[in-house]
Amino acid sequence: MIAFAAALSYAGFTALCLAMARHHEQVFRSRAVPAGRRRVLTALGWGLLALSVVPVVMELGWGLGLVLWLGLLTATAMPLAMLLNYAPRVALALAVTPVLTGIGLLL
Amino acid sequence: MKEGFRQSMAWLHSWAGLLVGWILFAVFLTGTAAYLRPEISYWMRPELALSRPGPADAEVAVKAMQGMAPNSPTWFITLPSERETTTRVFWREGGGRGRGRGFREAVLDPATGHPVEARETMGGEFFYRFHFQLHYMSVLWGRWIVSICAMFMLVAIVSGIITHRRIFADFFTFRPGKGQRSWLDGHNVCAVLALPYHLMITYTGLVLFMLMVMPWGIDRAYPGGRQAFNAEAFGSAPPRPRANTPAPLAPVLPLVEEAQRRWEGGRVGRIVVANPGDANATIQLVRADSERISYNPQSLTFDGPTGALIQDSGEGRPAAEVRGWMYGLHIGRFAGPFLRGLFLLSGLAGTVMVATGCVLWAVKMRQQAAKKGRVGFGTRLVEHLNIAAIAGLPLAMAAFLWANRLLPVGMEERAAWEVHVFFIIWGLCFVHPLFRRGRQAWVEQFAAGAAAFALLPALNALVTQRHLLATLAEGDIVRAGFDLGLLACAALLGVLAWKVARHQPATARARRPAPKAALMPAEAAE
Repeated sequence: MIAFAAALSYAGFTALCLAMARHHEQVFRSRAVPAGRRRVLTALGWGLLALSVVPVVMELGWGLGLVLWLGLLTATAMPLAMLLNYAPRVALALAVTPVLTGIGLLL
Repeated sequence: MKEGFRQSMAWLHSWAGLLVGWILFAVFLTGTAAYLRPEISYWMRPELALSRPGPADAEVAVKAMQGMAPNSPTWFITLPSERETTTRVFWREGGGRGRGRGFREAVLDPATGHPVEARETMGGEFFYRFHFQLHYMSVLWGRWIVSICAMFMLVAIVSGIITHRRIFADFFTFRPGKGQRSWLDGHNVCAVLALPYHLMITYTGLVLFMLMVMPWGIDRAYPGGRQAFNAEAFGSAPPRPRANTPAPLAPVLPLVEEAQRRWEGGRVGRIVVANPGDANATIQLVRADSERISYNPQSLTFDGPTGALIQDSGEGRPAAEVRGWMYGLHIGRFAGPFLRGLFLLSGLAGTVMVATGCVLWAVKMRQQAAKKGRVGFGTRLVEHLNIAAIAGLPLAMAAFLWANRLLPVGMEERAAWEVHVFFIIWGLCFVHPLFRRGRQAWVEQFAAGAAAFALLPALNALVTQRHLLATLAEGDIVRAGFDLGLLACAALLGVLAWKVARHQPATARARRPAPKAALMPAEAAE
């Protein structure tokens, strides 16, 4: 559950990043983000971030859950900020982890 | 006001941050280490075997106290837990109020109740205490200094948020290798991405000392003293005066079982016995602080001789409970291993934030100095203190662990000397940059820290039986993990030393053929 939440928040941050010209360029080598794609990515990013709180609160309740969730946000955003510089493609690839951890949860 | 709001906030931010930056760095780093207080203490007492809390711990501890301090007015007993393998006791000395409050303490073997047969050391307790009351000064002075620094910190955080114009646009932005720009980016990323933690830890840190820093409201409302306030706010039973008729203490084990029943399996963490051996004795059982976020402990108070329940204090009233939550969040003892890891990470982010802030200031001043053509005393002083505070402290912390392994076990004042070694090494780090200017000093102190951490597991293998191979084989995860953690610290400091050594200051290459004074590691002006 916690791994799923971490993956969701990481993917959310990645989507928000890709909606920004500077980080779009880091990953795709082109600074221009098409307007439609920007809107979708932004919405997706915020949506995934909002969604990531759900598994944590389901697992731990509101008090402990929110504390851990805020910690998760920090712990997933920091590696992303580093990866964007040093391994942008890896940063992008890791954004599929919600799918993997989600399947892991279902099995 | 001639300047804009944002400029004045930027001014406030840099001065509020700089003035207390070095103390804040030390507070952040040692405070982060304090999340591992039980683990550090365990590593620093290699004589101790792994033990698990047992049902008889409370009984054994109370028996031991009856032997050691029968005339003491109060005993405080902290029982062992999953992380803490010893019983820690302290008590007020009986008879007469001699010098000060006369507290004494001991660390007991939970199974036998005898003082542990381990080297004398403060263990992780040192970092924990240093981070809120410093050392070599009265506890009150230290706490005041740290509280004032925390207020500056809060000012710096809020003004920093206002100053940061592109907080969302630069949310993930870190551009390495660009001199001042990179330092600012690093400072921002560490600050913004862990902002909830920074605000929480600074604010709650102040709340912990609010009764000391702002006592006036309470003093006015409760002129009779703090006890009436404590009773009302925290629901603790009012203290009973000594009856001066002796009466034996009831067995504590049934009371512990009663507490576990009432807390639905909750564990007893602490026992406070007032007036033991007196007819008016009380036994207070306090729930373990690892079980709830709020530090407002649930507690049960029993009559000493009969064991009858006097008071059951559960959650406090709203105001007290809010304080309990903040207290609990700050010390993070409720956190399991994973959440503790997150706290640790955020704590390190805070440490890096303070460090990059201090370095950034020096880098900016250097640039202004380069334009003016001379470097002022203030800039030199800041650079000097940056080296000693930022690169020196990790080295001193490693030295503390070295002292723990190398000082003779039977030495007088051994625990105090471990601390002296810490400060001697740190003091030398403040002298060292006088002789080795700028970059060399950074590199040498970081490299020395890396070497000191890297060699600790080796030293550990030479002088104790608890080396990495043995602990891995035994499944002693805490000690094995600690040794591996030391190697990780070494790697981190090593990378820093290497980065600084390799760095080519752009200004030096472009404008100065032979720079006399070596530059800051960051000095790569565009």
